[in-house]
Parts: sequence; structure tokens; C-alpha cells
Amino acid sequence: MAVDTNKMSGAESLRKTRTYGKFRCLNPTCMGRLEPKPGSDHVRCPVCTSEYRVAWIRPDFPRVRGPVWEVNKKLADAAFKKKMEGK
Amino acid sequence: MALNRKIAYINLTTGEVEVKPIPLDVRKKFLGGRGLDAYLLLNHSEKGCDPLGPDNPLIVSGGFLTATCASATARTHVMAKSPLTGMLGSCNMGGFFAPEMAWAGFHHLVIKGKAEKPCYIFIHNGEIEIRDAANIWGTTTTDAQWAIRDELNDQEVKSMVIGPAGENLVVYANVMTGIKNAGGRTGMGAVMGSKNLKAVACRGTMDIKIAHPVEALEFNKRFIDQITSAKVNKTQGILGTPMIWGATNSWGGVRTRNFQYNQCEYADDIEPEAIDEICEDTMGPYHMSGCFGCQVHCRAQYRIPSGPYKGKYDEGPEYTSQGAFGSETDTPSAETVLVGNHLVDQYGIDNLEIGSLISWAMELYEEGIITSQDTDGLDLRFGNDEAVIEMIHRICYRKGKVADALADGGIPASKIFGKNSFDYLIQVKGMSNLHSDERATPALALNIATSSRGSDHLRSRPAIDLYHLPEPVLRKIYSSPIPYEGPLSSEHTEYIGKAWQVFWQENCYMGVDCLGICKYHTTFLGATLPNFEDWPKVLYYNTGVEFTPEELWDITERCNMLERLFNLREGLTRDDLEKGDMLNHRYFDEPCRRGAPDVVGRMIDKEKFIGMIDEFYAHKGLDAEGNPTSETLKRLGLANEPSHML
Amino acid sequence: MEKKDKVLMINPEKCTGCRLCELVCAVKHDGVSNPARSRIRIMKWEMDGVYIPMACQQCQDAPCMGVCPVNAISRNDELNRIEVDYDKCIGCRSCVAVCPFGAMGFNSIDRKVFKCDLCDGDPQCVRFCEVQAVEYVEVDDVAILKKMEAATKLQATSHKIALKEA
Repeated sequence: MAVDTNKMSGAESLRKTRTYGKFRCLNPTCMGRLEPKPGSDHVRCPVCTSEYRVAWIRPDFPRVRGPVWEVNKKLADAAFKKKMEGK
Repeated sequence: MALNRKIAYINLTTGEVEVKPIPLDVRKKFLGGRGLDAYLLLNHSEKGCDPLGPDNPLIVSGGFLTATCASATARTHVMAKSPLTGMLGSCNMGGFFAPEMAWAGFHHLVIKGKAEKPCYIFIHNGEIEIRDAANIWGTTTTDAQWAIRDELNDQEVKSMVIGPAGENLVVYANVMTGIKNAGGRTGMGAVMGSKNLKAVACRGTMDIKIAHPVEALEFNKRFIDQITSAKVNKTQGILGTPMIWGATNSWGGVRTRNFQYNQCEYADDIEPEAIDEICEDTMGPYHMSGCFGCQVHCRAQYRIPSGPYKGKYDEGPEYTSQGAFGSETDTPSAETVLVGNHLVDQYGIDNLEIGSLISWAMELYEEGIITSQDTDGLDLRFGNDEAVIEMIHRICYRKGKVADALADGGIPASKIFGKNSFDYLIQVKGMSNLHSDERATPALALNIATSSRGSDHLRSRPAIDLYHLPEPVLRKIYSSPIPYEGPLSSEHTEYIGKAWQVFWQENCYMGVDCLGICKYHTTFLGATLPNFEDWPKVLYYNTGVEFTPEELWDITERCNMLERLFNLREGLTRDDLEKGDMLNHRYFDEPCRRGAPDVVGRMIDKEKFIGMIDEFYAHKGLDAEGNPTSETLKRLGLANEPSHML
Repeated sequence: MEKKDKVLMINPEKCTGCRLCELVCAVKHDGVSNPARSRIRIMKWEMDGVYIPMACQQCQDAPCMGVCPVNAISRNDELNRIEVDYDKCIGCRSCVAVCPFGAMGFNSIDRKVFKCDLCDGDPQCVRFCEVQAVEYVEVDDVAILKKMEAATKLQATSHKIALKEA
């Protein structure tokens, strides 16, 4: 069958080229690669200690759904306190 | 030369119409679109004219490249004196209107006077007709468009309309076309409403000649490939502008509870993927749509999945709606964002302005500056989803004391609310800020402070500043077509060289607005997209007019200076909090409380910020007060404005 | 093995309604920008978000060919298309009236009928459509491609159901 399966639109090809199994830390000064354990609902960045919620589109396809708010808040509060003391 | 572009002067008081060709020397000086609009506005308005009076000219235009064989040149530009800011009023929208106007025979309209009763303008293959709009006055933006089509018995008619907000002279009412293509900001809808003008309808089947069709077609293909291969545009094509939300909010760049926080917590419901899921569930896997001739297709389609508006169709929501009806008001629920987005589209009102003002009112309510007595019992606290939706209805129809005051804009409302309400108002030149929080990014703060139409992210934002591009890459972008040897910094929290970036971006965005190209097709969100170096080719193949990149740079600088001249004429003063290039004190006094480590604790250093403005003025050729020097005006050929060439 | 029996395959679901195909069609054939000259047109139901590209289907038993009183319309088997011989055409527009798809147009500027000629084997609408709402494929493959598309949807739905059950 003469169907060219390689011919995809840009948007489609991006969907296809997603790296499965991992995503990047959303902290722009970090951008570390995160690889959540299959099935786990959150992951901690080993570089900057930010913690993210994870959603599983498919068993091999995790997606970051934003920070773990409690951890995020704690980190921000601590950093804020430290910076204000430094002033 | 294959140029036969026309401008029509329409007087609604007398019904007179005059048509003139646009001479080539005017094109060579102001290009078209927004640049030529600025020239027309400066020449056809008197100093201090009433924005809602008959003497304020409403200028509608397509870009120089609109309706040619160039990708995504569908932008419509509308200009007039703004009833919101009292200075430059200017808005830009996508959709299908401008090309249709071009095929109907016109590239620019100057609409003056005021009709005795509601009317609309119908432009058809070179003919202009003013028609009675008694039957469509009072309708929503979409109903009005379909009614016009039915009345004219032509389903291909494209209209630019106002909704109830414009009719009720809400000073930040939009002009709209299609379902959600909005010329938002600065209240051009109210200017239309003040003229009793419900719509401008177009239908055209006239040819627009292409100077070199074969080359234009081939180059367009290359251009499109360049644009669609940018990763940012691929993502736009899947998620639309909400794609910006995820990273920005996690990082801490989203204004929350007016200006109390810089991150909207527990906003899982309005994350881009969550919204994408709703679009997919309600509209299927292919739920993106595009403006005329554009391959980025960033407009999502959705139906409201639940609640009293269940099943209503709309497009979006854009990033702005997520902030306006999600974070700023602390109501991060998908339903509120989707319903809010739907209502502003139907009423024809600026989502950014209304969301920001509602959140401001909520903070005033929290501070006790306005009370439940003022709101007729409405519990205007942060996090009250119903109050947000209710306020949209009330402001549009000016119901009750608070809503009526808010419908007149932030600064006039602050005078009614009294006390220190003005201190809480997040605005520049009387126009509300986007929900982005610029305290960690001085370049972006400089951008909103100096933007020509009041606080605005689409006039000079160096968005790529956040990407931490290596300095040589930055230098490659920012020293073309004009060499720049000053300092540049890849660090977004720095103040170094940012003034040049903002100046460069200001000219770049003026370029796309003059040509009628969408900003996603230039150096805005993607660093690899076309700018000054690529435009001369598109221009030559399509119009036959030759420009060099340096000439285009000069034109954009000239057009930006025209806008500055208009603002100066209408009272712009450098440090004035109401009419100047200055930010609200909270940017300098309140540190960020949330977000990533590089954001927490940040605020703008006022001294350095003022230094940046000095530097920015120097790049533009302005003196310390922000007025152009006589050498600058001479260099840009603007010494004799207004020169009344058109 | 190369076959030359290719047709336009339209996937209305994928169309974003941008009408770039209309623009490039007019530029390619007439050297001007004017959708009224385009051989392919997008029909829209804007309040439903539905956009459907309409073009000539190059019918096997083409009504335009049958109705033409001067036999100006014929089938070109090499390019698998129906074409108009302008030397014979008298401009009566019978073909415009009879086409069930509205794919035969009449250009009121040049006073001539016009239709899709598949750009002699390199359709520009296909070349420019990034989302592939219009494709140029072997006629034998159309049905199998459509089958595959439908089956993919079924598979995705059953996967969703399985996820919900799990």
C-alpha cells in the first residue's frame, strides 16, 4: 500500500516526537530532566528540589501538571524569608 | 507597478464618501496598516478632541501585505483617540475581515462624524453604502454578524462589529469579527458606539494583483516552512496561547489576587492540558482553527462542558482569559474561564481590562474601600466565581454603582471610589496590565511602562529574553539590521542592554503591524522567526515595491515616533502615574512572594529602572523629558507634522 | 511501481478554515489574490466550528461533461482529471448549473468558467495545507486511509474506556 506514513504535519509530528517517560523541570533556571517512576503521582527535581504533580496520559507517557502546591509554597516561603533577612 | 490601493473617507454625519488612492511616496514613508493609521490619526484629529465625540476619526485598515500571497497577513488594525486612556487608541485583530475589505477595494477607511441613528457601513466591490442598523442594534457580536449576512443575503460577508458593550460606551469595548477575533484594548468599540456605527461589513471579489506571482508563491512556501518549523508555533498549534500558562505560572509570573501574589496556586483546572482536554472532549481531536492564510492555527474551539452555559460554542480561551478570569480574581476554575471568555466575546469587551478591573475591585472590597452596599449586595471577594461572571454582565450593561464606575475605566473609577484606591490599580497610562507579573523581568517591565497604547505586552515585549539565549545569539538578533555594539545580557533579571531590546522589539512589532502580519510570525515567542531581513523579499515579490532592511527599520522608527507625537500632544508626561511612562508603586515596593528561586523576593529596582528609561529615550532620540529632539524629527522626516498628505 | 491514478482526498475534520488553499490556488492559476477565482473553497458553519473544503471530484461520469453542448469538456486519463477546452467553450455556464458540488466556477471578470486542474499533478492546495485537510493520494488508497482513520478513533475510544474501567 502506497501510504506515506512519514508525511505528517508539524503539529502532528510534534505530538509524535514527544519524549516518553520523562519531562523537564519547569524552573527556568534549572530545566533538569525528570523521570518519574511509572505510576507515581509526583516527582522531585534532583537538581533544584522543586516538586511536580504528574498525570499519566498512557502508562508510558507522563505529563507535568504543575507544582506540588504545598512543597512549592514551603520552598517559596523559605526562600522569601531568607531573602528578606538578607536585605 | 501592481499597486492600486485605496483609502475611503466616510462622514457619518453627512453621508459623504470620498475615495483617494494611496500614493507610493506615502507608502515609502509609512508602509501601511498601523503606521499609516498613526499618520492619518495625527492628521485628522484635533488636539484634545473628545474621544467619544464626532470629531474623533475612526481609522480601519489592513496591512500593506494584507490579501497578498504572504502568510498570515490577515490582521485588521483600528485606530482612534482612546476613550480609555485619552491618548493613542489602537487595536489589532486577526480573522478574515481585512482581506475581505481589500478584495472589496479598500485598504484604509477614515470614518468621521456621527450617524443620527444606528447604522452600518457596507462595502462591496468599490461601492460604499451606509445602511440602517435599527434591527441589529442591541445584538451580540455573533448575532449581529449573522443578521447582516441574512439581510444582505450573502453568507460570505465579513463584518467588524461591536456588541452591547460598545453600544453602552464601556470605554474598553472591543471591535470584533468572527467568533472571537477581537480588536481589544483601548476601547475602539466604544468609539464605534459613539458614532452609532454597529458594523462595517465587507464583501469583495476584486483582484489584488501580485507583482511576481511565481516567486511570491515559492517564497511563501519557504516562509511558511520557517514559521511552522519553530517549536513554539507547533505547540501553539496544539494548545493555543494557553501553552504559555503552564511554565509561566509554575515559574511565578502570573498576577494573582490583583497584585498580591505572583502565582495562582491550585490552578490545576485551567492548566493548558486540562483546557485542551475539554476542547478535545467537546470538539474532537482536530479542534484548532486558523485566521486567513495562517498555518499556525492557534485558535482552539470548545463548547462549555458544564453549568448554566453548557453546550455554548466559542473559540479560545486565550492565555489572557486564563489570567483575567482565573488567576487575577483567584477563581481558577475551567468553567469560570470558559464562561467568562464566552461572555466577553459575545458582549464585545476587552477580557484583559475587565478581568483586571474586577480583580482590582475585589481587592478594594477586601480592603473595605468599596462595600457590599456599593455592590448592591454582591459578595465581591476573591475566589467568588459567581461574582466574576455577574460583574461581566453588570459592567457591560452598566448596572449598579460599582459596575458603572468600572465601565468608565480604572482611573475615573478610582476617583469615584476615593481613598487610596488608585494605589491598588495596576495600570500604565490608564490601561490595565496583562496578568503577567514583570517584577522578575525588568525588560518586560520597561516594555509595559513605555508602550504607546498604555500598558501593553504586544508593542515592545522582548519575550525571548526569558529563554536565556547565549549572548552571541542575542547579539545576532538584536544587531540587525542596525548594528548594536552596546551591552546585552542573557539574564532576564538584569537591567543591562534591555532598553535596546525593547527599542528593537518596538520597531519589529511596528513592522509586522504595518505589513498586517501576525506577531507569531516574527521575533516574539520564537527566536528563529522572520524579521527585517526577510520582509523586503516578501514585499518585493508581492507588491513590486523595493525596500532594504535598513529602510524598513527607519520606517518603523518613524511610525513609532508618530505615535509618540500623538501621545505627547494629548498630554503624555514622563513620570506622571496617570499619563506617563511609569509603573504602579507596587512594582518597586512589594517583593514577589511565590515562584521559582530566581523569582521569589524580586521587585523592580526603581533607580535602575529609571536608568533604563533614560537609555531607552536615548535610543529613540528623545530628550530627558521624553520629547523628540529636533534632530530626531529631522532625521525621521517628521519635522513638519501634521503634513496633510492624505 | 508508480501509479498515476491520484485524486484529491479531503478530510473536513482536519481543516482549520484558514483558506490558504483558496489564496494559493488563485495565485497559481491567475497570478492574483482573489478567492473568488479559487478552484477550492472552504464552506463554513462558524457557530459549530465546522469547515469543509469543496473542490472538483473529477467524477467518472461527470455531469459537466455530459451537459456541455459543444463537447468542450473531456476527461484526461493521464492526469486523471476533467478539463475544459477554452477554444471550444462558449461560456453558456450549463456546467456550472449542473455540477452537484458547485465545483465549476464562473469568473465574472474574465467571463470564463473555471475548475480544478490538479495543477497538472502538483496541487498547490495540498502543498500548502500543513494540517493535511487536503491530500493527493492514489485512488485505491482513499478507502483504506479512511478506514484506518476511523479505526484509530475506535481504538482511542476503547483505550479511554479501558482507562476509565481501570
